[in-house]
Amino acid sequence: MSMLTTFEDFARACNENERLRQMNRDWSRTIVIETTDSQQLYWLRSQKGVIEAGEGDIPDADMHIEGTEDIIQAVFSGQMSPTEPYNAGDLLVKGHQDDLMRLDIITLLIWGE
Amino acid sequence: MARRQVLPLRTAVSTSAGLASAAINFLACVEVAEYAGGPSAWIALLVAGALIVFSASNFAELSGLYPSAAAIRVWTRRGLNDSLSLIISLVYALTVIFVIAADAFVLANAFHAGIPQIPGWLWIVVLLLVIVMANLRGIQIAGRIQDANALLLLATLSIISIVILDKVPLPPVSKFLHVGPGIFQSIALGVFIYVGFEWVTPLAEEFSDARAIPRGMYIALGLIAIAFALFTVALTIIFPRTEQLKTTVIPQLLAGQKALGAIGFWWMLFVTMTTAMTTFNGGLFTASRFVYALAREKSLPKVFAHLNDRWVPSYALMTLAGLSLVLALVIFATGQYTILINAGAGVEGLIYALSALLVIRLRHKEPTRVRPFHALGVPWLTAAVGVVFLFLGVGALMTSSSQVPWPLVFVGLLVILTSLYVYRVVPQLKTKNPAKPMKRVREETIE
Repeated sequence: MSMLTTFEDFARACNENERLRQMNRDWSRTIVIETTDSQQLYWLRSQKGVIEAGEGDIPDADMHIEGTEDIIQAVFSGQMSPTEPYNAGDLLVKGHQDDLMRLDIITLLIWGE
Repeated sequence: MARRQVLPLRTAVSTSAGLASAAINFLACVEVAEYAGGPSAWIALLVAGALIVFSASNFAELSGLYPSAAAIRVWTRRGLNDSLSLIISLVYALTVIFVIAADAFVLANAFHAGIPQIPGWLWIVVLLLVIVMANLRGIQIAGRIQDANALLLLATLSIISIVILDKVPLPPVSKFLHVGPGIFQSIALGVFIYVGFEWVTPLAEEFSDARAIPRGMYIALGLIAIAFALFTVALTIIFPRTEQLKTTVIPQLLAGQKALGAIGFWWMLFVTMTTAMTTFNGGLFTASRFVYALAREKSLPKVFAHLNDRWVPSYALMTLAGLSLVLALVIFATGQYTILINAGAGVEGLIYALSALLVIRLRHKEPTRVRPFHALGVPWLTAAVGVVFLFLGVGALMTSSSQVPWPLVFVGLLVILTSLYVYRVVPQLKTKNPAKPMKRVREETIE
């Protein structure tokens, strides 16, 4: 599965979750994701509870996530909780801690434990 | 890539200085003065501060290498191994509870001195409850309030100390330069005054300029050194016989009263309250998120990953607050607050020694990784200062007014219990909840 498809699936899973849409309705954020091995840029944008995904650079990002393609794909496809690679230093994040926690909770809400 | 949110250097300074400035520092100043034997306490604080600068440079390198809110957990995992990292991180996080409990003790005594009709323990219960309720509602003390508190405390201490030094006849210069036999313990305890300056590193992700963290820490250390050295010296001038200092647990109120009368007394009481409240709030806020993260990686029971509908890890928060309350009430009943000061100073000394080891190990393990900041004097000077901190940490743990080194016993037990937990319970937790591909669920599944 391509990386972009992974992000599009992630966005779709968020948008299909009624509770998540409700909880994210006041969370407007732009997240840029950079793969450190293949140097590709992707983005996720949350606006009024709806999440969109895309490829390439985007201005005014609130959060910047960096990791290898394997880890990013595992986290955004639900094979791995973001906490473990984050605590191991394999997933780097620039942004507010609250937003990072929100992202972790989103994965929890979509995929459970 | 343009980013929208960035924190300025000012916030790095105030956060570093604000987190280091707990109300318990006032009592630590008394201990420093007592062991230094008088006005020469400033030497102990200056030496402790100079050593801390090396430690700050270690934290700056580690923070630049892995700018993460999980800070010590990431660095020790990369530099040592997962199990040791977990033990160290848990003991370090529990130190927050010592500081909260000791701060509660200072707060209770200060308020009881101001309003004796209300028992001290009631202040502890009420103020901790207020902070827990505020945190459960998702209210976060804004950075600006922390900024204001740090500024207020440091400015107040400097002003009150200068007024005292101006009012009271000063002892001969030789007294300021006399170094007594207790200087080693005095330096070890002096480290405690700066303790917490490094807690700004978990905010590394929130600064766009990686240099803000080291710069902020250095400026904060300088401000703390000036304010607390002035205050400690002023205390020794008010109490020329340092053993008299032992009899008070409200030195800051006495200093305020001596300088500005009733206004000074109430001003210092207000400053004590704001300082303790931000320690409670900052400590519980940070530690509860850390507990949440460990529960999410299955190193702590799943229940601690529970979130209330305001995104707060409520069970983790209430458990930590409950532990702090119990410890605070035990300390209040026994008056043994010095055990917590010494235990806190000991743990921090050992963590600062560890930071030196991690810098050296990670330079070998990951030599090509980008380092926005390089620690001072790697490897030999870093190693030497690390050894000094190791001795200072052990020295602080051995410092006790009785035959038994209670701080060492206390921290030793904590390490044994944490190790047992990590080696016995964590593997069971991980086996019970193995990592598996997650299955998408339609509705949210938080317990």
